[in-house]
Amino acid sequence: MLEVSRLAAGYQGNDVVRDIAFHVDPGEAVMIIGSNGAGKTTLFRCVIGLLGPSSGEVRFEGTDITGMPAQRVVRLGIGFVPAERRLFPRMTVEENLSLGAYPRRPDPETLAMVMDLFPRLAERKRQTAGTMSGGEQQMLAVGRALMSKPRLLVLDEPSTGLAPLLARATYEALRVLRERGLTVLVAEQQVPLAMAFSDRGYVLENGRIQTEGTSAELAANPDVRRAYLGVT
Amino acid sequence: MIADILDGIVLGLQFGLLAAGLTLVYGLGGVLNLGYGQMAVIAAMAVAFARDAGVPPLPAVGLGLLAGGLLGLLLDRTVLRPVYRLRGEARVLLSLLLTLGVSFIVDGYLNWRYPLKALTLHIGGGAVEILGVPMRRGSLVASAITLVTVAALFVFFRRTSLGRAVRSVIEDEEGARLVGIDPSRMLRLILVLSGVLAALVAVTRAMVSPVDVKSGLSMTVFALIVTVVGGLGSVYGALLAGIILGIVNVVAADLIGTYISLIILLGAAALTILIRPAGLLGVKE
Repeated sequence: MLEVSRLAAGYQGNDVVRDIAFHVDPGEAVMIIGSNGAGKTTLFRCVIGLLGPSSGEVRFEGTDITGMPAQRVVRLGIGFVPAERRLFPRMTVEENLSLGAYPRRPDPETLAMVMDLFPRLAERKRQTAGTMSGGEQQMLAVGRALMSKPRLLVLDEPSTGLAPLLARATYEALRVLRERGLTVLVAEQQVPLAMAFSDRGYVLENGRIQTEGTSAELAANPDVRRAYLGVT
Repeated sequence: MIADILDGIVLGLQFGLLAAGLTLVYGLGGVLNLGYGQMAVIAAMAVAFARDAGVPPLPAVGLGLLAGGLLGLLLDRTVLRPVYRLRGEARVLLSLLLTLGVSFIVDGYLNWRYPLKALTLHIGGGAVEILGVPMRRGSLVASAITLVTVAALFVFFRRTSLGRAVRSVIEDEEGARLVGIDPSRMLRLILVLSGVLAALVAVTRAMVSPVDVKSGLSMTVFALIVTVVGGLGSVYGALLAGIILGIVNVVAADLIGTYISLIILLGAAALTILIRPAGLLGVKE
């Protein structure tokens, strides 16, 4: 579904990530784990088209999307939830959600599905996004991305800035979406949460993919255990 | 005094509409258009020449609005192209310099070729009494058109998905891209809209007093002052500031004198920045 090969990207000529190759198959949940500054955000920004690559290739469902601007990539069927969420703070929950479906009118069924997944959003339809709590904003960011009916949902550190309970709730929602057939790619530094959720994963360190494997393999890997699972 | 306030509201609504066009372009694209007043003047001249050629008033005004919109499009496609390659402060500065250059060229040409040309649109009929004050029919028609335009803008931004898409770019450009909105297309649309608004203000001004070829600079300056007081990027702020400054301007001009009134306006703008750096309804960065 998503195939990335030999990708390099960065800022002002300095590559932050280099020689990246990974893939996501339909129906999978895949994680990219790594510490702060490993290059997860740079990698995702490049995949989604917010940042041009310096070399390499990104394909989505067979289409070459390398260097395609984000506004076109998302219309192909990828939803992206950035770590900073990027909501429209002075607009209401309803307006944020309906913009998620742009340029089409919001589909009532999808809207009902989002409200059902996150009942808090239904309660706060007329509240402006900027006045909501971090957890509610995260729900809204996921909900907005879902409004375009993506086949692949990409999330950059969905647990950032959330209390443990809310972070778990976010992953619970992702689990529900997966059961309904959505393919999910997630970058995370809170590894235990992501590991319990994903089928497979890649470990990103200093801008390169160091290890890959199924979640069970990674959980058994001594290096991964020491660095990300707090096991000595 | 009541007459002054009513006159001030009429003028203020026009200021507000003028500033709305300027502030939208700035809020959306970080482009400060100092040739804005000249867009209004060119549109006014288009109407004036159409009238001279025997075109009836309404179609002539339609031509003027069309000219305004086309000027916005032209700006987007030509002068602003190098500006779009820059970001942040450099973008604002280059847009300011280039559009200022355009305004000089336009002013120079019009002053050389048509130094005495002016647009006046006479609205027939006698004065109408409002709150015991006789108001000229032209002022009332101008106010009515301005109010209808403000209402239409409100509906566009609140109720239509295109209007919401424009607002989303002002609120968070990257967020807008992530829902599939192309910010550069929205900016082009708003530049066209700002050209139409400039033309509309020129036409409604011409119903109250003549709009001559030299009014470009003062229109830009008024729009800029109102924008600063209202808050950059805020349409409602522009309208509110427009009305307040419109009243201040007319009252000051009446009590002290026209020349001093401009200084008072500038003073009001400076005071606003000292007290509320983001403007009346502006958003803090």
